[in-house]
Amino acid sequence: MTTPILEAKELTQKFGGLTAVDNVSLHVGVDELVALIGPNGAGKTTLFNMLTGVNAPTEGDVYLAGEKITGKKAYAVAQMGISRTFQNIRLFSDMTVLENVLTALTNHYKESFVSSVLRLPSYYKTEDAMKEEAMKLLNDFGLASVAENRAGNLPYGAQRRVEIVRALATRPKVIFLDEPAAGMNPEETADLTRLIKKIQSEYHTAVLLIEHDMSLVMNIAERIYVLDHGHLLAEGTPKEIQDNPEVIKAYLGGDADADA
Amino acid sequence: MKANLKSNLSWLLLMVVGFVLINFLVVIGVIDSFTENMLVTIGINIILAVGLNLVIGFSGQFSLGHAGFMAIGAYATGIMTLGGFDSFGGWIVSVLVGMAIAAVVAIIVGIPCFRLSGDYLAIATMGAAEIVRIVLNNMKITNGPAGLFNIPQYTTWPLVYVLTCLTTIVTVNFIHSRGGRAVMSVRDNEIAAEAMGINTTRWKLAAFVLGAVTAAIAGSLSASYIQTIAPSNYGIMQSVSILIIVVLGGMGSMTGTFVAAVVLGILDTVLQSFGVLRMVIYAIVLILMMVFKPSGLMGTNELSFARIFNYKKADKGEAKA
Repeated sequence: MTTPILEAKELTQKFGGLTAVDNVSLHVGVDELVALIGPNGAGKTTLFNMLTGVNAPTEGDVYLAGEKITGKKAYAVAQMGISRTFQNIRLFSDMTVLENVLTALTNHYKESFVSSVLRLPSYYKTEDAMKEEAMKLLNDFGLASVAENRAGNLPYGAQRRVEIVRALATRPKVIFLDEPAAGMNPEETADLTRLIKKIQSEYHTAVLLIEHDMSLVMNIAERIYVLDHGHLLAEGTPKEIQDNPEVIKAYLGGDADADA
Repeated sequence: MKANLKSNLSWLLLMVVGFVLINFLVVIGVIDSFTENMLVTIGINIILAVGLNLVIGFSGQFSLGHAGFMAIGAYATGIMTLGGFDSFGGWIVSVLVGMAIAAVVAIIVGIPCFRLSGDYLAIATMGAAEIVRIVLNNMKITNGPAGLFNIPQYTTWPLVYVLTCLTTIVTVNFIHSRGGRAVMSVRDNEIAAEAMGINTTRWKLAAFVLGAVTAAIAGSLSASYIQTIAPSNYGIMQSVSILIIVVLGGMGSMTGTFVAAVVLGILDTVLQSFGVLRMVIYAIVLILMMVFKPSGLMGTNELSFARIFNYKKADKGEAKA
């Protein structure tokens, strides 16, 4: 096995007396598409927050491409190559779609205060290069036509897509998607499925996905982690997870015949 | 770049035309010293409000301490031009010193204060401005509560005009750059900005420092125009009156700030003949404004030459098709 791009070792998060995540280890390989599932309150988002530096774990460490990122601030973790979307969409809603993507590119371009304030030629050069990269991404995901629209005015499905494109614009090594299919109709979910596969295949980015929509998870995930009450319940391919009696009991419901 | 050139040139032309027009009116005597006083006040208020709008409207950090930075600029100029730097060159040096001190103070105040947000941040910045005022009130070099008088007058309306244009250009250009987008992303959604690798504290601080530096320039201009300064001029009421301009014009609209500063400046001057009723009418106008248009005169919209040109182009395109 090659070295994983993201590795979490024995992560524990305690909030006062409550242990939200207990001794969880996981890894995501290069360009791998991994899903994290579990019932509500299982600790999935807490785990996400630890991996992205929003909360520091009580115990355990996180490594990104072999480098320890535990205890780093969220923006530093993001700069190192972990990007994410949010369960409840968090766009920069008063800015245009293009500006949203440009903002994500902030750290990849150098533009000095002096050159932007005096509008030196180098300012126009960087701005043009940034816009070109942003437009290419938007074009790739069918959003070029709404580039100048205010992000908050887009329909729900499009906002989700903008959020994913924005996350991708930070040129991440791993992209975390927190329930991307929430509130989507079957058609939009099918679109999303193609989109996620595209991220993995064309942008060579590993994906870690939290999702409740089992058809989506079983369809695209290469490997699945199941979390329940803060513990790691199971790990395996979609087939293995579907057949795991413990998982069926904890998550898919008591009926062993349940077809996911 | 070519498309931008046209709108940049239009703005430049507008500035030059404004200057020539005012100059012409002064020469033929339409603008007397009374009106000139109003123009200078409006200009200084624009500088202050543009800086505060950057902090409040664009980076979303509610600051009530803008007068403190104005005081720093005013006292830097007052002390230095009274104490040996009595020339226009000396005035410029005093402005630069005021800007530098304001920047340092903004960093010292900003680092602890930006752990807070909303109402708490407003109170903290207000406290910081009070500290500045009380320090000025108790130092020997600032002449305590009596303040400084007979400050040499170097501020003239052309100087105010030029500096108003310059500070606005710097601020607006900053907003339309990589840094400006980072600042606005923090306003729109701090958690998402952080997840996109934006060092939120750093960008909030950048906007705050830029706002503080422009406020210091405005302070220097006003000190050298009014010629008398006292710590009591830079209390909470001064911060609030700058805030009123920003809110009235629309938080997040620079052209709105211009419109509001001009409207309030003229209103203030016109109402002077109403004596005691002046403040009552002023207050009623503000209340009506907030009731009928709470987002301010312009909301977050800007008057923009680029948009007018694009609109025209689109119009022509349609006509052809």
